[in-house]
Amino acid sequence: MASLVSRFASDVYWLGRYLERAENLARILDINETYARDDAAGPDWGRVLTLYGERSRFEEIHGFPTARGVLDFYLIDRGNPSSVKSCIHAARENARSIRHLISTEMWTQLNIFHIAVGRMKPSDASIEQLSRVSRQIIAGCQHFEGVAEGTFLRSEPWCFYQLGKYIERADQTTRILDMGYDRLAPAEDNPVAWVHWNVLLRSVSGYHAYRNRHPGASTPQDIASFLLYDEEFPRAVALCVNRITGSLRELERRHGSQRGEEAERERRKLEFLIETGPGKSLTPARLHRFLDETQAALANVSASVSGCYFAGR
Amino acid sequence: MRLAQEFTPGCGQVPKINALSGTKAEEVEKPIDDTSLLLDYDPAGYFCELSGVASHPDAEEIYKRLSQLNMLGLRKRSRDAEQELLNLGITFTVYTDKDSIDRILPFDVIPRILTDKDWRHIEAGVKQRVAAINLFLEDVYHGEKILKDGVVPEDLIKTNPYYRKEMKGVDVPCGTYVHICGTDLVRDGDGTFQVLEDNARTPSGVSYVIENRHLMMRAFPDLADGISIADVDEYGAQLMRAMQAVAPKQVGVPNVVLLSPGRFNSAYFEHVFLAREMGAQLVEGQDLVVQDDHVFVRTTGGLEPVHVIYRRIDDDFIDPKIFNPESMLGVPGLFEAYRQGNVTLANAVGTGVADDKAVYAYIPRIIKYYLNQEPILENVPTNICREPEGLKQTLDNLDKLVTKPVGESGGYGVVIGPHATKKQLKELRAKLEADPSNFISQPMVSLSVCPTLAGKAVEPRHVDLRPFTLTGDTSWVLPGGLTRVALRRGSLIVNSSQGGGSKDTWVLG
Repeated sequence: MASLVSRFASDVYWLGRYLERAENLARILDINETYARDDAAGPDWGRVLTLYGERSRFEEIHGFPTARGVLDFYLIDRGNPSSVKSCIHAARENARSIRHLISTEMWTQLNIFHIAVGRMKPSDASIEQLSRVSRQIIAGCQHFEGVAEGTFLRSEPWCFYQLGKYIERADQTTRILDMGYDRLAPAEDNPVAWVHWNVLLRSVSGYHAYRNRHPGASTPQDIASFLLYDEEFPRAVALCVNRITGSLRELERRHGSQRGEEAERERRKLEFLIETGPGKSLTPARLHRFLDETQAALANVSASVSGCYFAGR
Repeated sequence: MRLAQEFTPGCGQVPKINALSGTKAEEVEKPIDDTSLLLDYDPAGYFCELSGVASHPDAEEIYKRLSQLNMLGLRKRSRDAEQELLNLGITFTVYTDKDSIDRILPFDVIPRILTDKDWRHIEAGVKQRVAAINLFLEDVYHGEKILKDGVVPEDLIKTNPYYRKEMKGVDVPCGTYVHICGTDLVRDGDGTFQVLEDNARTPSGVSYVIENRHLMMRAFPDLADGISIADVDEYGAQLMRAMQAVAPKQVGVPNVVLLSPGRFNSAYFEHVFLAREMGAQLVEGQDLVVQDDHVFVRTTGGLEPVHVIYRRIDDDFIDPKIFNPESMLGVPGLFEAYRQGNVTLANAVGTGVADDKAVYAYIPRIIKYYLNQEPILENVPTNICREPEGLKQTLDNLDKLVTKPVGESGGYGVVIGPHATKKQLKELRAKLEADPSNFISQPMVSLSVCPTLAGKAVEPRHVDLRPFTLTGDTSWVLPGGLTRVALRRGSLIVNSSQGGGSKDTWVLG
């Protein structure tokens, strides 16, 4: 069988990224709802915008970030390329382009999901509906993931799909962690912060996994370390990095190490960063900086994958 | 033929609509007949594709089973089937500034039946036609014997917008120019099949044939139970076989790709579908590159050679160096690689000169000229307006004839005399007198009908048939083909752009 057309490698990679992004966006909006509810200083929806570095872009168009405004912006605004609706649309357009390389079940599920997301109305982008809507979005993305796991041929496209998925997931987990970086103070000093870390854990479906690892008392630092370094929790950054390594190795096996040289260099930098990270001695400032550095390293891996495999040289 | 008085009433478990509480007002106003589906069906003098073939025992059985369905059940299955088309993304896309709307080609759930006898006749007829067209194209682009013998007027070919002088002297593998041909057939009042049009450039619609079958078997497993219907799933494998057969000779295992204009093209679904069925890579112009007159595809492993291109892009757009320089869809240098025989294009460049409406009229003579045979399938009788007798016939009978401009497709510019206003006829007459060569005319064909779900009743609707012929070193015809149906009452125009839908086509074993 011939090698994969470069454009399709890129499309399947972005298919993985967009679905993962939509899922995590729903998780983040749901956490923020809990945070905003408890905020002494009043609900802050600007936090989500800051997290994605989109505050100024938002304020230019919509002004002060209200709950309604931010939910609309991130759930249904087709003018915002990073809204859930836009992500699912982009995922579906990518899937359409590689329709001949994915299974009929993957395509059908995504197509039905796309129709459902496309029908979301302004009334769905409200605090009252958020819990239901975000659960549906997460379930739709997970459904796709399950269908892909069960039906997607384990050939080259699968490698790029996995690569996209884990690069995006690692990035999103660092952003979710960043939601809580300023609440690292010991729990006894700040009971609300403790509640918030639990919310954060639950939002990544990590509460029971974490409890299994850390029975008994624990600190926000323990939770942060878990989400960064655990190699068995599927949304932890370390596990994602291992998976990225696995997919890049598989591509090297197919195309030789020379073609993937640049990606390998960037991957090593990422791995080194995680291995030599701040460990358990996390302060809010160190955690925040580390998360930023990780996001930058992931972006470099992504760019190098594109250079090695998508340019068709 | 046993008719409706013998039908057994439907299963009876569906309560009368009037008795349902909370039923939609519109449905209460006009109750849906929940008894016989075909009780009031009247083909109104046209040849009916269902009752007209009911001497065949399987066709009779299908008629009986359809009669026993009730309207509520049929409407529900029809809705489910259309929902499934949407879910499966079997759609063409209409783009607006900000959004895209997916539309389905309307699907009618009542199948069109072809008996084995009728099918064998059609199959032999389209094969003969394709064979003659291939010989004609080879001659037109080489010795021009048929033009020198005056069988086809030379200027008709040489001034034809689809004639490609660049193809002169270019040899194509197996002498095959038209690898994929769609032949549009209609059936007149006494049930005779006639050719309405040849599609020898990039005929489309075959994906619907196969998807309609899948859909039909899911929606109506009971209708075909125990009845032998010819399989349509072989198409992709046969197409791949034909493409491999015409690969450049020096190639061991040819790399076959399907070249699409891309996902914004309305037929993109079909391109994807065919690439999947063939197991071929689906590419766009930007994915291909020509180096030293050889074609390569950009892959994750670098450049890989390409040997056969099934292109779904018109001649004009395949190579900006030779044809339309504005084209972003094609590949610079592709034609030179093709001319040198380093890559095969399917269909060949310049085939449009054979499916032009003006040349169509000569096809019966072309068949006789090259094959020394009588045409198995006749043309619809056609007046060639460039010939004085044809023009006179046309002008004398403008209000009775269907007049067609020769350069258009998709049903555009067609004037149906009996349906036209005085003003339209006057305009047409002026155009004809100014440029007679641009027109042909044909008598009204009383297109056959097929029972079709129309709102709350089953009514006759006009249909045509497009069988698909694949030719590499030999020809193979997909059993059945695409049945297009004009969904508007009385309409004769089946094109999807003008309110047409499609039906599953069953060739009985």
